[in-house]
Amino acid sequence: MLKIWTIISIRLKEFFKSPGSLVLMFVMPALFSWIFGGIAVNSEQSKPLVNIVLKGDSKVNTEIVKLLKKDDHFEWKMESRSQAEKNVAEQDALAAVVLPADIGERVRVKKPIFDVIVQRKSEDYLALSGFLEGTAALVVQSYQATLQFEDEAFPQVLAAITTSKGVTVEKQMIQKDTNNLVEINLLFVGFAIMFMMFGLSGAASTILDERIGGTWGRMMVSPASKLQISLGYLLAYFCMGWIQLAVLMTTMNLLFSTTWGKLLYFIPFASLVILCVVGFGLMIAGIVKTKQQASAISAVLIVSTCMLGGVYWPIDVVPEVMQKIALAVPQTWAMAGFKEIISGSLHTGTLMKDLAALLGFTILFMFVGFRGIKFE
Amino acid sequence: MSMLTVQDLQKSFGKFEAVKGVSFTVEKGESFGLLGPNGAGKSTMINMITGLYPPTSGEIHMKDIDVIKSPKQAQKWIGVVPQEIALYQSMSARENLRFWGRMYDLSGNSLEKSIDQVLEIIGLTERAKDKVETFSGGMKRRVNIGAAILHKPELLIMDEPTVGIDPQSRNHILETVKRLNSEGMTIIYTSHYMEEVEYLCERIGIVDYGQLIASGTLRELRESIGDHSRIFLTIEKDHLSEEKLTKSLLGFFPEKNFELQDHQVMVFHKEPQLILSDFIQLVTQTGTKITSVNIVEPNLESVFLHLTGRKLRD
Repeated sequence: MLKIWTIISIRLKEFFKSPGSLVLMFVMPALFSWIFGGIAVNSEQSKPLVNIVLKGDSKVNTEIVKLLKKDDHFEWKMESRSQAEKNVAEQDALAAVVLPADIGERVRVKKPIFDVIVQRKSEDYLALSGFLEGTAALVVQSYQATLQFEDEAFPQVLAAITTSKGVTVEKQMIQKDTNNLVEINLLFVGFAIMFMMFGLSGAASTILDERIGGTWGRMMVSPASKLQISLGYLLAYFCMGWIQLAVLMTTMNLLFSTTWGKLLYFIPFASLVILCVVGFGLMIAGIVKTKQQASAISAVLIVSTCMLGGVYWPIDVVPEVMQKIALAVPQTWAMAGFKEIISGSLHTGTLMKDLAALLGFTILFMFVGFRGIKFE
Repeated sequence: MSMLTVQDLQKSFGKFEAVKGVSFTVEKGESFGLLGPNGAGKSTMINMITGLYPPTSGEIHMKDIDVIKSPKQAQKWIGVVPQEIALYQSMSARENLRFWGRMYDLSGNSLEKSIDQVLEIIGLTERAKDKVETFSGGMKRRVNIGAAILHKPELLIMDEPTVGIDPQSRNHILETVKRLNSEGMTIIYTSHYMEEVEYLCERIGIVDYGQLIASGTLRELRESIGDHSRIFLTIEKDHLSEEKLTKSLLGFFPEKNFELQDHQVMVFHKEPQLILSDFIQLVTQTGTKITSVNIVEPNLESVFLHLTGRKLRD
């Protein structure tokens, strides 16, 4: 046990003394997650700003503003004309909607109800213009319907429309929001897996360095058995993987308040994923002869299998054939398992399938790795 | 009982036979040198003795332990100084020694005490906390030796431990090895530096092309080649008439114990002083101009030259 612990501790010490390893294992994944995760989170939280410019302060315009504000896909803000134009020009606002002083006049001369100031017709603008056209049509219909009544009738109808729910929601579904959160959390897990693969395959290739440097041979002629040496390296890399994941989990939790599902499920599953990644690293160390080969093969295998396995994007968006091929890479099963755990679905059958597949990959990688590594 | 017995040791890598049926014994407390040029098979022999490579055939016993069957049992009593600097460069000397000590089951106070003793032996107590990567080549070699003697092995195997270091560090290492041997540690020392082997080893084995071509004490080896000295006569090239000189030499040395190469004549003779003046006179009479005369007493180089027909560093 002393020998195993000694190997673990020297590997961890060497790892923490190497700035390159620290950058690859912690800084890079944290940075990538922060950038891409931040984009994803912000895209969920920030809404395009639309300025409203009032040419006249009438009751009708007040009701139309309320009507516009019903669309919560946009952030509506009242501005003066000059400020609104500046905001649009500087692209701080998606567009500015100008409400005329006399709506009735516009309807009568059959001119558009709203004047819109826009800089760039983006996808968001297309969504906005559709909504504005709908609202304008509603306003025109309301105006025409109240022509024969008193002036007060028009704003009253508009107020009635604004307060009407339109659709009765019998059961509130929050599935969509939860799904988005899960996708964002999976993005973090994906980056963690990818960088763990890079980091641990790099770490495992230190066996090659040790062989060249002579420490590997020296260890082989010490009384330490092959089993003790193998366990020492295996557990050292397993610890490195867990340290990396724990640091990333904590960082992401602090930055984006991400959740990881029930830890009772997450920890054992993540442990198996890490073991599988360690096996992958050992396999690389076992099949290559030089560090250059290790770097090249690792890069190709990791990037391609991560693409295939749904690390960069949800696997559901790729064609069915690709989804079938993806079953041959461990990342697919890892991501599927993490999705089950993070979403809280915890479907036992699916989880067991993911676990079994990952276990199979782990055994295969370890077998190839330990067979390839020369204990001489 | 001998400390080490090697019997008919053979190792092949594919079709290449690196070690061809080598046998020798090393007694307890003895220092045994394996001398041979690079690629002669010394390291392969060492790697088999230390249990790193399994031999193709043959037997290795360390005292009563069968090294081939129970390498881990034997390795407890063996200290190995590999040819490479087998240390963790980003770790300090103390951390390295602690690591290798633990690999030999040392721990706690006894480990720390051993480390302190070893640091003193290798003369690096003051630099114990410095990273190995900041050390000179000689200092690294000393830590390399320190890591092998922490567990006080009965048999210390050193594979060319002084390659590529400065004379000062080499002297320190040789003195350290001498001291360890005088304290009772059995040493196997491989090198292609004859002067080191001559200085350190009581018995010497000469290895060439995977075979042990001779072994014995330095005196025994010298006697095996007739204890002949060598006279080197350097002659001016412009005045050299090879044909005339060879004819005269053959008349003077009918047993053909001379060599004429480039502008140098080398003669093997047991008592060079007796023939030196006649030899010089003979050469001068042929019209050849002599620029220098040198007599070399028999040493390992001449033994090796005599046995293999080539110089050790060829």
